[in-house]
Amino acid sequence: MLIGSLPVAGLDFSTLPQQLTDGLLLGFIYALIALGYTMVYGVLKLINFAHGEVFMFGAYAALFTSWALGYTPNHALGTGTPWMLGVMLLAAMTFCGLLGVLIERLAYRPLRTQPRIASLITAIGISLLLQYGGQIFLPLNQNIDSKINPFGGSLEIALSGSAKVDTVALDAEVKSASEKFDAYLKSSGEDAFNLKTDEGRSLRNAKQDAERKLRDAKSAGEGKTLVISYGKLIAMGTTIVLMIGLTYLVLFTKAGRAMRAVSHDFDAASLMGINVNTIVTFTFALGSCLAGAGAMMVATFYAGTKIDTFFGMVLGVKAFVAAVLGGIGNIPGAVLGGLLMGVTEGLVAWAGSTAYKDAVAFVVLILVLLLRPGGLLGSAKVEKV
Amino acid sequence: MSTFWNWKTAVATLALAVAVGCSGGGESTTPTNEGKTPDAGGTSAAARPTPTAPTVKAEGDTIKIGIVGSLTGDQKPWGDDSIKGAEMAVAEFNAAGGVNGKKIELLIGDSASKPDQAKSATEKLLSDGVIGIVGEVASGNTIQIASAAFEKSVPVVAVGATRTDLTDKGTHVVRVCYTDDFQGPVMAKFAYDDLGLRKVGIITDNKAPYSQGLSKSFEKTFKELGGEIVGEVFYETGQTDFTGPINEIKGKTPDGLFLSGYFPEVGPMAQAIRNSGMKDVKLLGGDGWDSPQILTSGGDAILGAFMCNHYNNKESRPIVQEFLTKYKKENGGKEPATTMAALGYDAMALILDAVKRAKSLDSVALMEALNETEGFEGVSGTINLKGRGGNPDKQALVVEIRPLAEGFQVFRKAYAPSDLVKN
Repeated sequence: MLIGSLPVAGLDFSTLPQQLTDGLLLGFIYALIALGYTMVYGVLKLINFAHGEVFMFGAYAALFTSWALGYTPNHALGTGTPWMLGVMLLAAMTFCGLLGVLIERLAYRPLRTQPRIASLITAIGISLLLQYGGQIFLPLNQNIDSKINPFGGSLEIALSGSAKVDTVALDAEVKSASEKFDAYLKSSGEDAFNLKTDEGRSLRNAKQDAERKLRDAKSAGEGKTLVISYGKLIAMGTTIVLMIGLTYLVLFTKAGRAMRAVSHDFDAASLMGINVNTIVTFTFALGSCLAGAGAMMVATFYAGTKIDTFFGMVLGVKAFVAAVLGGIGNIPGAVLGGLLMGVTEGLVAWAGSTAYKDAVAFVVLILVLLLRPGGLLGSAKVEKV
Repeated sequence: MSTFWNWKTAVATLALAVAVGCSGGGESTTPTNEGKTPDAGGTSAAARPTPTAPTVKAEGDTIKIGIVGSLTGDQKPWGDDSIKGAEMAVAEFNAAGGVNGKKIELLIGDSASKPDQAKSATEKLLSDGVIGIVGEVASGNTIQIASAAFEKSVPVVAVGATRTDLTDKGTHVVRVCYTDDFQGPVMAKFAYDDLGLRKVGIITDNKAPYSQGLSKSFEKTFKELGGEIVGEVFYETGQTDFTGPINEIKGKTPDGLFLSGYFPEVGPMAQAIRNSGMKDVKLLGGDGWDSPQILTSGGDAILGAFMCNHYNNKESRPIVQEFLTKYKKENGGKEPATTMAALGYDAMALILDAVKRAKSLDSVALMEALNETEGFEGVSGTINLKGRGGNPDKQALVVEIRPLAEGFQVFRKAYAPSDLVKN
């Protein structure tokens, strides 16, 4: 394909589809976490900074569930089964839901009538408490064993046709060179890594040369492929299902209608007979469940990801930015913001500056705030005090 | 009060918090070793400042020696092991009668795997009156320990800090490990000669001084040998998603990748590298990989990779086997999980040996005795420090990562400093 071999201004277009795809897949995770921020803000006008830590505990819930299922660090089990992933997902969601409710009940509700800045600072306090307090009793630097994931492989989509390369001659060359080298090792009894004679070294070099030639020939003929791990695809599918569920819940159920009413006008909703405390609790539970699902998927499908008490910090901040980007308080906005963040990061990574991709995320945020202060889908209305 | 004011303030607060969080680690990025010529033995000619503060005398009935290690945080496996090793050395020394009738009192400080905490732990030890300090494993932490100890003229024996310019901090810093100016070239030579690699990509932890220095020394030698460095990409300690940098380096079709970072990130990264479709690319790294945890975090992806290390439990030298027997006896039959137990033991034994040799029981005399060390037999090899600028001329081993059942680190090749001079 033309696009694969077109160097423009030093940019390598061949990696663009891959970076964009990975960015988009990560964007779904951002969106899932951003929903928690945006829903709580919509109902309480509070930025729940502890949301990233709820996310972190979700990863731990998934980790402990995987241990309970037998996948401890020194296990000797084979590949897991899909229902194990289901159990981990449910455990993480349930635990996070409860944790979210607990945080709201203990930390935010007593302060609800106080100035909003008090709740905001409490939120930051809870976040730090969970990050550093968790270090006392949680095991650090753990990984969910990637073997528990039965969908280990990757989907490979050919972007450009691979040229047929005739490697028969090269294969034969490699074979004969390796045979000669092996025969030498066998006859001399030497270790392949500690060759004593020039003869051995030259035979080794001949074998290496042959292997290199074969490798170069193969890679020259290789077409560009898009590699997506099945795990990430499943994460995306699960996210979409959860989002559809959430949309249904918010738009078509009584609780959802009450939630929207509370978000529209807290006091009026209370006067209309809506139990606002129940709705607030419900909102926290819902947002935290989504964070738990996101955490389980990141910890499991982003293979080997290290879990510690700062697990939620970076992703939490990114998701918060995504929520603001889309217009905080606006549910479709959070999803749009998340996807946009992911794609932007993919683009930045592709432009060859992976080191700056976090910085660029914030630059995007500042630009959006300057041009559309309410976020992309939010409405900037000035309130009278 | 408008609601917008509220969340804009929040954004500002957050931005500030992020900025503050970043600067915490920024302190550790001290000058790089650019422009310095790597030399195999580490006979650095750079001027090392001599601390001028008055000497600290050992007062009371005991001689206080401190150790700083990561008892918490990412590098806990190293901190635990180095402290266990050091405790063994102290116990042996005291059992043998100490020096001048005085026993050693070991004070332990926790660096929490962070440079700033390493510094405050060191300051605590110094205020408690230690005349010598052992530590640390990570170079970023050790640099802070060295700066704090300089102010009090207290010598520091680094355990596993390999960053080359560390000993330039002053004549009070010595180490018991090789430097990155040795281990980088060793891996470069191994990659070029034994693995036959010609197009290598480098993945560097931009937040770890160790990783930055090691990548540079690897790159320099690999290019000198005639190989090509197809590119270098970066991540940061604590990062969880590596798809961006990995896709970038994949586009350059390397035949090998040099991962110069620490094991908590290298394991997951190895999996991400295999998942990205780079199935046959050889993986190489330094002693930062040294923890069996890399097997759980790296899964099958890390098997068959090569790393550089200080010594190997399988070595037949009597001192190694003696050390292992003792270690196993005190730790429920378990072999040390990382090399840092042996290096912690060596560092402490070296400082205690210097205490015996010192003209008087104070920190400056101890510092002089350390720099006069000749032919000290350590578990990890013979240590010579006299006239070597604090860097011993030790060998490095290349090992292959295999499953635990096969011994985790399987010995492949040993390099002496003279092996790199010219082939």
